[in-house]
Amino acid sequence: MLLAFVSLLAGLMVAVLFQSNQTTEVRDTRDLWEVRTDLREEQLKQQNLYKQIRDAEIIIEQYEGKSDREKLETLKESVNVLKEKAGLTEIKGKGLVIRVNPLYQDLQFGQVYPTVPPELLHRLINELNTYGANNIAIANERYTSITPIRSVNEYTYVNNHPLPPLPMEIKVLASDVEKLLDYMQVSRVNDYFAVENLELEYDIEHNLTLPKYDQSIDFKWLNSADFDETGES
Amino acid sequence: MWLTLIFLIIGIVLGLLTDFRIPEIYENYLSIAVLAAFDTLIGGIRSHLEHKFDEKVFVTGFFANVSLAALLAFVGVQLGIDLYLAAVFAFGVRLFNNIALIRRHLLVKLENNTRQKKSKI
Repeated sequence: MLLAFVSLLAGLMVAVLFQSNQTTEVRDTRDLWEVRTDLREEQLKQQNLYKQIRDAEIIIEQYEGKSDREKLETLKESVNVLKEKAGLTEIKGKGLVIRVNPLYQDLQFGQVYPTVPPELLHRLINELNTYGANNIAIANERYTSITPIRSVNEYTYVNNHPLPPLPMEIKVLASDVEKLLDYMQVSRVNDYFAVENLELEYDIEHNLTLPKYDQSIDFKWLNSADFDETGES
Repeated sequence: MWLTLIFLIIGIVLGLLTDFRIPEIYENYLSIAVLAAFDTLIGGIRSHLEHKFDEKVFVTGFFANVSLAALLAFVGVQLGIDLYLAAVFAFGVRLFNNIALIRRHLLVKLENNTRQKKSKI
């Protein structure tokens, strides 16, 4: 009888273990419309890639079969384009100006003067990049792909420079500024800033100048890839 | 021995019908518990066949083995060593040993039976 009872227990445990190990299969539950939108997105990506390939091919063509002088010109052009991409040049254009103002509440016990914590800035930049921002400058510090935003002794530093006291301006260039503005006005970021007693004010400006990134880029941790470099032939 | 098998099947059916799942982190413990239970079961069947079955030894062995294995697994998790493998190994070896002994017992029984039948004829 005891054997039977223990075997019952063992059977139960086996069944439970078996069920726990069983993973539900992932099914594709997208309907036709979703599949179509996904396909469209992928096609757009493909087109983008094709465009990039074409641009690269044009540059290669320019390198090949031309005099040294022209090669030099192309090289200079490429360098300028890359510099622009890396944020090493001043850039002008139509863009969005985001003013960060302190938000005062009617508090009985007074209020600390608000500052912008780095996490909030990260969130804002993520949001801007999601909605198509091309170039960003935070209070005259150009934001590049290696820009550190961090808290040093409770002050927020961007590009190793402390942020000025509020109000400050964040300048954003985008290909479709109106759309970016629409997105940002309804973004959750506004709420997150409000929690820290900060208010975001958006404005479109037609002649916006973003400063250049004026420090040297540290290439200490970069390695070149394993293919022949452009212009090495 | 048949009762054991029947109840094992009943247990499995019951477990499948209840549709009960445990969190992933406890799966290790349960797998060891299952192994310990099987080890005890097979050991019990063997001692039954050898006419040495003792309820006290059986019950205490079951609970002691399960808790010791779980403890080992727990300590292993805390230390970052896969100590539960030790339990799996020990139980596995014992399982095979016991199954081999049971098989021999059954074979001997079968031979005896056929011999008796022949002698009757």
